Amino acid sequence: MQPTIQGMAIKDVYQGMKARNVADSTDRLTAAHVAIAGAGGLGSNIAIALARIGVGQLTLIDFDQVELSNLNRQQFKLSQVGMDKVTALKQNLQEFNPFVTITTRVQKVDHDNVTELFGDADIICEAFDNPSAKAMLLDAASEFFPNKPMVMATGMAGIHSSNSIITKQVRPNLYIAGDGSTAGAEGLMAPRVMIAAGHEANMITRLILGQTKI
Amino acid sequence: MVTVNGEPFAKVAGQNLLAFLQQRKTPVDNVVVELNGTIIHRPEYEQTLIKPDDKLELISFVGGGR
Repeated sequence: MQPTIQGMAIKDVYQGMKARNVADSTDRLTAAHVAIAGAGGLGSNIAIALARIGVGQLTLIDFDQVELSNLNRQQFKLSQVGMDKVTALKQNLQEFNPFVTITTRVQKVDHDNVTELFGDADIICEAFDNPSAKAMLLDAASEFFPNKPMVMATGMAGIHSSNSIITKQVRPNLYIAGDGSTAGAEGLMAPRVMIAAGHEANMITRLILGQTKI
Repeated sequence: MVTVNGEPFAKVAGQNLLAFLQQRKTPVDNVVVELNGTIIHRPEYEQTLIKPDDKLELISFVGGGR
């Protein structure tokens, strides 16, 4: 008997899930490895988008645990409060798409572990909340991997216009999404955080598929 | 004339990068500095002197996301 998922042949599930992907994208998506730094409002949403389209390998990095205050924007469930975010996110991603290889690291990113954490990834996705962590990762990544594509975000708080969130190409291999100014103190909610996450996820998808323009 | 994020900026030539960044509103830790197209890493700030025709791009970050 052939192996099944939900009573369907694995091969059929795999093919069926790819049916609406953009033509000729699946092989390149499957071959890609994206490392996501931060598994919160940005990272959880980005990871779900990339897992759904079948990015083959995801590394999820976050030192934090799921809290009640995360649930207004982060893709966790009430039943996951208290879990390591990366463990909870991996669990959710595997329900959406079991064909993704997911590595989790419960770890704080610092200058000294950037090489080890991101060396194998094709693309670095920054999804932190702390602005100094964002700057530190860009500083370190540009030192250790000067040509590796990196996608970041800054400014997605409040209830400002959706259309103020844009993606900029800041350097040949550096893309930054967001409005550039609104900070977390004014409140962070799913709709606008998801717009910034969508910008990052779409830029990553474009890069995987060879589109380097914004 | 020195430019900072595309705007002309008087009286900064001769300063080191760290001194220049410390005068700005954005905390130094939240900024990455591009000098004439090259990212300057943090340990190099103090020894990097701003020259009269330098083009500085300050890549600044605000909080929120994780």
